[in-house]
Amino acid sequence: MKIFSTMVKKETLLVLRDKKALLLLFLMPAVFILIISVAMRDVFTGNSVSFNLFIKNLDNSSITKELISNINKDKSFNLTSLKKAQIIITIPKDYSKGKKKLWIDIKDTLKSDEIELFKAKLLKDITNLKLKIIKSRLMEFSNEAAGAIDLVNLDTNKLFSIRYNQKNDIPNSTQQSVPSWIVFGMFFMITPISTVFINERKQNTLSRLSSMNVTASDMIMSKIVPHLVIAQIQAWVMIGVGMYIVPLFDTPALCINGSIIALIFLSFALSVSAVGLAMLIAVSANTTEQASTIGGILSILLGAIGGVMVPKFIMPHSMQVLANISPMSWGLDGFLDIFLKGGGINMILNESLMLLLFGAITLAIAIKILQTKMKKGFT
Amino acid sequence: MVKVSNVVKKYGDLTALDHLSFEVKSGIIFGLLGVNGAGKSTILSVLNGLTPIDSGDIKVCGFDIKKDIKKIKEISSIVPQNLAFYDKLSVKENLDFFANIQNATKENYEKAIEINGLCETLKQRASTLSGGQKRRLNIAIGLLNNPKIIYLDEPTVGIDPKSRNEILESIKSYKKSGITVVYTSHYMNEVAMICDEVAIMSHGKLIAQEKISAFANLEKHFLELTRNENI
Repeated sequence: MKIFSTMVKKETLLVLRDKKALLLLFLMPAVFILIISVAMRDVFTGNSVSFNLFIKNLDNSSITKELISNINKDKSFNLTSLKKAQIIITIPKDYSKGKKKLWIDIKDTLKSDEIELFKAKLLKDITNLKLKIIKSRLMEFSNEAAGAIDLVNLDTNKLFSIRYNQKNDIPNSTQQSVPSWIVFGMFFMITPISTVFINERKQNTLSRLSSMNVTASDMIMSKIVPHLVIAQIQAWVMIGVGMYIVPLFDTPALCINGSIIALIFLSFALSVSAVGLAMLIAVSANTTEQASTIGGILSILLGAIGGVMVPKFIMPHSMQVLANISPMSWGLDGFLDIFLKGGGINMILNESLMLLLFGAITLAIAIKILQTKMKKGFT
Repeated sequence: MVKVSNVVKKYGDLTALDHLSFEVKSGIIFGLLGVNGAGKSTILSVLNGLTPIDSGDIKVCGFDIKKDIKKIKEISSIVPQNLAFYDKLSVKENLDFFANIQNATKENYEKAIEINGLCETLKQRASTLSGGQKRRLNIAIGLLNNPKIIYLDEPTVGIDPKSRNEILESIKSYKKSGITVVYTSHYMNEVAMICDEVAIMSHGKLIAQEKISAFANLEKHFLELTRNENI
């Protein structure tokens, strides 16, 4: 126990004195959280989709004037000059008599789903106008019948309210980006941990420790403790960035909807898996170059597969299935369960246990590899 | 103190130790000479239990290296050629760390600092020490467990003559404390100056072992024995 606590103390001092690695571990994910939260802000608030329109009105009737006025009031459309417009709507002569169609020219390359969205939004304005016309004609016959038209309401906000995971809060970009970069930031530990370990091996410090009867498991386990603590601090700093720094950039703050205990447990499990993988690479690689290359590529690959770079919900089904092999995906799902679904321990238990199991297996393999190398006389 | 009998160690096709046999008596400074690749570092690593042997027998203070490796590690110490300590820690932090790992007594701790003249540098970060001071710290760590035998692998490589002399004087003082020293070096004058007995290795074999007094001109003798090799 004395050996272990001495080793932990030494590791802690080494970690705290590696300012560059600490800067990398804290600054990199914090910057990413800021950038991605601000960049994705409008995607979640629903203000992102707007079309630049130019309307050529050849009809010039009161009805078409009203249609243009309605379009102008709709936040989804920006009336602009012919030069700047993405879409040109031509209202043909006698359109108001109801016998002709609108002509729509798409100037820019809009995706098919964007065109469908545009059509749906335009349809709402046209339908509202037509209902108004019907109402005015009905009023000539019966006020009661005309009043029935008011029952037809195309304003979706008045027709239904959407609840996200049983709550009225709308998920925001910060709630999406903070989990991603907590997960990615923790796995970024692979590079500094393995670099330090390989340098110790090259300098013969590990073989010196072995000559002092220090075991492979002591060597590895002592490295885990300070890195687990660093990982916890890292996670909470990132949550702090989401809660207090991101709002300074006119972006919604992170809300921890779920259980704090669940958050602590998940964060611990995630750090065990990240440190386990880092130790496995550290004992397997022969040079720091190898370790940093493998570590860097693996982090990015696991991040890309696991939904850190691209959210899983927009991936095709096959990719979503593949995502399940990445521990980053398990961590990410767990954090999203807590932040978005207000989850507790029960909701994140599976992900946490998988992360702990992954960490335990990678650490066991790392210890075995180091033991074998030490027996062969190569530490 | 140390008895090496017919030891063989191979790395793939390379035979690093080829049926090597020699004895080191207790309380002496034993010099191991040889060109690069002769097997000096390998035998030191083997003697400390860091590298396993393929065949042969080794006894250190009566302990068998195959059975009592833990005990052998407790009573011996190796000072590797590389500076095997932590640059980012201070001298004191390094010494404290290695002392705690080995359960060193306060007396041994202070003795290691004093013999190696590290009192003035205790608070200094190891990375900021001079070459000579780094070498002395490297050796001091090896003395913390008060070993019965210490293996020094080229401890004076790459330092100035003044520091070298200081280190050599301190090595001579270990002998007075009853520590047996096995010492490898490229420098004939060093070996002649401090060693009681010298063995010359070539291609993993022992080609000569004599008391230092038997070598009238050690350098000439060494060059004759190893004339076909690159030094």
